Amino acid sequence: MKNYIILIIAFFAVSAVFAQPKTGSLLIKNGTILTITKGTLENTDVLIENGKITKIGKNLTAPRGIEIVDATGQFVMPGIIDAHSHQGIAATNEGTNPITPEVFIGDALDPVDIGLYRALAGGCTSSHAMHGSANVIGGECETIKHRWGTMNPQDIVMEGAPRTIKFALGENPMRSHGEGSGKVPSTRMGVEFVIREAFTNAQKYMAAWDKYNKEKATNPTAVAPTYNRRMETLADILKGNIIIHCHSYRADEIYMLLNVCKDFGVKKLVFQHTNEGFKVAPELAAFGAGASVFADWWAYKFEVYYSTAYNAAILTKNGVVTSINSDDANLIRHLNHEAAKTQRYGGLSDDEALALITINPAKQLGVADRIGSIEVGKDGDIAIFNKHPLSVYSVVQKSIIEGIVYFDIAKSADDARVSVNPEEALPAFSMESSHHSEFDSCMKDMFDYLFGGKE
Amino acid sequence: MKYHLLLIAMLFSAVATTFGQFGQTPAPAEIVTSPVTRTIALKNANIIPSPGQMIEKGIVVIKDGLILAVGKDVKIPIDAKVIDADSMYVYAGFIDGMSHVGIPAPQNNQGQGGFGAQAQRPQTQAQPQIDRGNPPNEAAGILPERSVETVIKMDDKSVADMRKLGFTAAHIVPRGNMLPGKGAIVLLNEKSPYLRKDASFFSQLQGSGRMYPSTVIAVMSKYRELYKQAEQAKTHEAMFAKNPKGMERPNYSPTLQAFYPVIDKKQTVFFNAEDVLSIYRVFTLQKDLGFSMVLANVKQGWEHADAIKTKGIPVILSLDLPEEPKTSENAQANASGRTPGRLVADRNEQPNAEDAKKEEPKEKVANDPEKEKLEARRKEEMKKYLAQAGVFESKGIEFGLATTDADSKNIHANLRKMIENGLTEKAALAALTTTPAKMLGLSDVLGTIEQGKIGNLVVTSKPYFDEKAKVKYVFVDGQMFEYEDEPAAPANRGRRPTGGGTN
Repeated sequence: MKNYIILIIAFFAVSAVFAQPKTGSLLIKNGTILTITKGTLENTDVLIENGKITKIGKNLTAPRGIEIVDATGQFVMPGIIDAHSHQGIAATNEGTNPITPEVFIGDALDPVDIGLYRALAGGCTSSHAMHGSANVIGGECETIKHRWGTMNPQDIVMEGAPRTIKFALGENPMRSHGEGSGKVPSTRMGVEFVIREAFTNAQKYMAAWDKYNKEKATNPTAVAPTYNRRMETLADILKGNIIIHCHSYRADEIYMLLNVCKDFGVKKLVFQHTNEGFKVAPELAAFGAGASVFADWWAYKFEVYYSTAYNAAILTKNGVVTSINSDDANLIRHLNHEAAKTQRYGGLSDDEALALITINPAKQLGVADRIGSIEVGKDGDIAIFNKHPLSVYSVVQKSIIEGIVYFDIAKSADDARVSVNPEEALPAFSMESSHHSEFDSCMKDMFDYLFGGKE
Repeated sequence: MKYHLLLIAMLFSAVATTFGQFGQTPAPAEIVTSPVTRTIALKNANIIPSPGQMIEKGIVVIKDGLILAVGKDVKIPIDAKVIDADSMYVYAGFIDGMSHVGIPAPQNNQGQGGFGAQAQRPQTQAQPQIDRGNPPNEAAGILPERSVETVIKMDDKSVADMRKLGFTAAHIVPRGNMLPGKGAIVLLNEKSPYLRKDASFFSQLQGSGRMYPSTVIAVMSKYRELYKQAEQAKTHEAMFAKNPKGMERPNYSPTLQAFYPVIDKKQTVFFNAEDVLSIYRVFTLQKDLGFSMVLANVKQGWEHADAIKTKGIPVILSLDLPEEPKTSENAQANASGRTPGRLVADRNEQPNAEDAKKEEPKEKVANDPEKEKLEARRKEEMKKYLAQAGVFESKGIEFGLATTDADSKNIHANLRKMIENGLTEKAALAALTTTPAKMLGLSDVLGTIEQGKIGNLVVTSKPYFDEKAKVKYVFVDGQMFEYEDEPAAPANRGRRPTGGGTN
């Protein structure tokens, strides 16, 4: 009996250690609140209790013991969300096979990646940590919160976020497998074939399991089909349990995937990059597919030669749920500026522009009920700017996740690293990727395969 | 380019074959006694029968490979070879908790298949035909069915090197990638008596370079898939054995069958998990699949000490410690603003002569407070690595020690660093003797100097952890290895010049 009690106590001790990440409570006083979904509120307070926004209003009183953040003269917006990032992960591409849905970026989270802290310093509190674009069907991605200061990968996971998966069309998978290994696909036709074949195989796999599950009660000689993680994940896509996020550039390939998904009954679909999305905006809207784009980056390879800085605005005006992403260690630090470009190119309103980096990426990741706007009941994920975030003069003051301040410009340490390499004398504080490189960072890990050299 | 590499590789292997015998001569200072008698008595020694105990001026008698007697008043058998061990220290032979001893390091660093010397085989054949997205198991580094005995070479120099440090038994695991094969417990004498074959299921998160699984995400997936497939296959085989009529035949895959003892919890998974993040990943797999596990080769595990204790997972710390950075490399990294060995951003940028000139005159800034802070931070972090063993001890966690990544030249110094940073000598000795014996299920035969245990001993000139301690004798399975002091002067007329270095 005693042993049982000890066991139970031990169990609770363990559960406490592995419990959900910490949440906090605080009262943000007297700021200009950019709610995104419910307009802008001057001189207003936001109360966060145990991680959730519990009150928004004027002259709120702080419950006892709650920290007060004075935001007088400052701008309070929802924490920025990046729908396309490769920060905070230790592996990007399993580029050995054109189809690898069985791999999971969540298995390689790296919470000590300084890129996450830099993102926080730009007001970005959540991101979509994605598999790369070497494979037609890449791995499952993970939606993370930038809870800096931990070594535990589980601490940065956004619990309960829906499953998402990376697909990729066009030159990256063609180059990685067609040119790299002489395999299908080496053309856009091949890319479509790979997806259709994979989905068809998954249907067969599901049918085999259905047959077995029906038979096993009555037939003692029934043998289960061989467990196959690749097919399991593809089957979950077909069942609607996973949102596809597809790397794409050209209108024809975007339209192709819309058709493939229609044929297989797949409805949850977001296009990434989508540089020619403006050409098929009505079709995207009719399908209900999202588009996550760059503000003004193109012409870095042939298939992305044709684009426009009006892309986000055109997509928005056509009713496509659109976001602006970084896909980059540098851009993730100032997504607010990227969103502001849509006011110069397309004349979007403040709310429309800010939606591109808040509520819209939240919708694309299936977490709009939790984050992306300042509303009662939502997570207390907040970025506080000294000026309006769409101004180039704005600087982030604080980044808050579930009521805990993870970045404070007044208190930020010179050396914010969580982990230090004891064998490296002086760390090189360079950013690993930038938009002036030849390839997008979706191709990380692939240079070895393609060129036998380093990145 | 590829052909050039191939040529070079072939050249090297040719050279290695021709001159191979040089590498295989025993270490010069080691003298192996011919077995005139199999009874040996150590007299007048300071005997440490187990950590924390001490018999002064005691006697140990080994007979026919076993410890016959130990104590103060022991009768020395008449046929014994008597060794005057006055002022010497006698310990139970050390046990290497996890080791690659006896497995020659691969000549190239292709990192594929990686099963000791055999890993080189596929490369000489028509490799381009391997589909790297779906490679055969050997190329993928998935060989759990193979036993490490097939690649151990007891005449490899590493065996003598480790023995000279006092290691008398080792849990040897193969080199390689994800699942390189099963480990074995081996006594480190030349006859290589296996104490236990297929003693462990060795696993790593290491991908196979250019082959699937190449990254940690694919290794994690493949591990889960193989494990579940093995569970399925095991059930299928059992069903088929009972009632084969009308049933599809099982595959009897040796790869999946290798998992069966793990599924039955009859074999322990020794999971190589060096850094803090790998340990989290390994914990995830363990939790999902439920195998019994030893965390092995841990280098950065202090963050997990409490979890390791709560979960009761046995742990083997690495005897490899980080090294102080080389100053020239620092200067370079500093000048170019780049991490050594990592090329960032612009690949087309060629270092041109003018830039090189500009960097040439080294700014001799006496005190850069920013650099000083970074250096202080680095030292603080270094200290954590050195203090890891002490932290585990202070939390009451027992651990063994692994030499898989350690250079034998550094092991004694590294043990001393651990002790300087908080580990007690008693716990250090336990980590080399009683704890690995317990962890490997060998407490009946190894780990202490007790009557009936295997005759494995280490005899030193001073207490083992003393800086100036010299190993004088090592006994493995009763076989004596004697070590002469290294000559103080370079010329020693009585001896043949030796070519292979002094240790």
